[in-house]
Amino acid sequence: MNYDTSLWLIFVLIGLATTLPRAGFIVLGSRVALPPVLQRALRYAPAAALAAIVAPDVLVVGGQIEPLNPKLAAAGVAVAAAALSRNPWLPFIAGMAVLLGLRHWLGA
Amino acid sequence: MSRTRPIFTASFRAGAGEGFATFLPLSVGLVPWALVMGMAMTSAGFTPLQAMGMNIIVFAGTAQLGTLPLIAGEAPLWLIVATALALNLRFVIFSAAIAPGFRGVAMPKRWLAGHLLTDGVFATCLDKMLHTDDPHWRLGYYLAPAVWSWALWQTFALVGIYAAGFIPKQWSLEFMATIALIVLLVPMARVRPMLVAALVGGASATLLRNMPLRLGVVVAIVAGIAAGFAAEHWEHKAKGR
Repeated sequence: MNYDTSLWLIFVLIGLATTLPRAGFIVLGSRVALPPVLQRALRYAPAAALAAIVAPDVLVVGGQIEPLNPKLAAAGVAVAAAALSRNPWLPFIAGMAVLLGLRHWLGA
Repeated sequence: MSRTRPIFTASFRAGAGEGFATFLPLSVGLVPWALVMGMAMTSAGFTPLQAMGMNIIVFAGTAQLGTLPLIAGEAPLWLIVATALALNLRFVIFSAAIAPGFRGVAMPKRWLAGHLLTDGVFATCLDKMLHTDDPHWRLGYYLAPAVWSWALWQTFALVGIYAAGFIPKQWSLEFMATIALIVLLVPMARVRPMLVAALVGGASATLLRNMPLRLGVVVAIVAGIAAGFAAEHWEHKAKGR
């Protein structure tokens, strides 16, 4: 795929959406504080967002929910590897091995 | 008066040495991440210049990996930015928690420190930052791991960008990005309400995938937050009884 110059605008905006939340309180210091209820609710945003991106990617094949597909199996193995091992490489090696192995085996 | 910039005082160097020594073994974990990041950006169709541009402007693994499929899928700009914000929200909390550690530090250095704030640096530095008086020592203790992370991240992303070119397309390297997101998610989901937030977020996004403008992702994130928050409340109530 080819991208035009608007890609750089996207980068700058994502950059702002990254640096402002990080620098905000460090720059403002003790002058402002977030309401505790909001702080507690915000803790759930990353987990919800990550799952909202990953789940459709591994569950949907060609627009349909497919409970049995190589990507989902590979994701399951990656979850197990990440949960059970402290080796940072293992989820990648095991997940990719299952994905490519199953695809090869299914002939797809 | 010495001509040395006041930032590199002896106590800054002492703090930097100690911070670096503490962080060095942990920083190894950044290497596979940065490699995957480089490969994922190349798989999404970025040129090396575009990929390094994103890596330097954004400097946030999760936000980069999370927005990559949206950028490649030509999702609307506001959704890309909203997703990046949602993925970065935890840093609002980190930033608020570590902010007292920057008392006595000048503004430009605070912006630099904020830009370089990562999960690993936060976890490594928080305690010492809050319990040390000397602002030079504190700044050194923070900046050494932070700058080291930055350098590792840029270097190995560049290696990943060029390595991806030698790997055939059938190898589906872009799936490495999905695995990377899973690796981030798994340790979060060890806590029950967090797991609920993830399950509800994931299920909602899957069921709502046909909503116009990919609104389903935003609705799913909000639903996930609400579910996690509710689960936390019920857990409290159950414990209180």
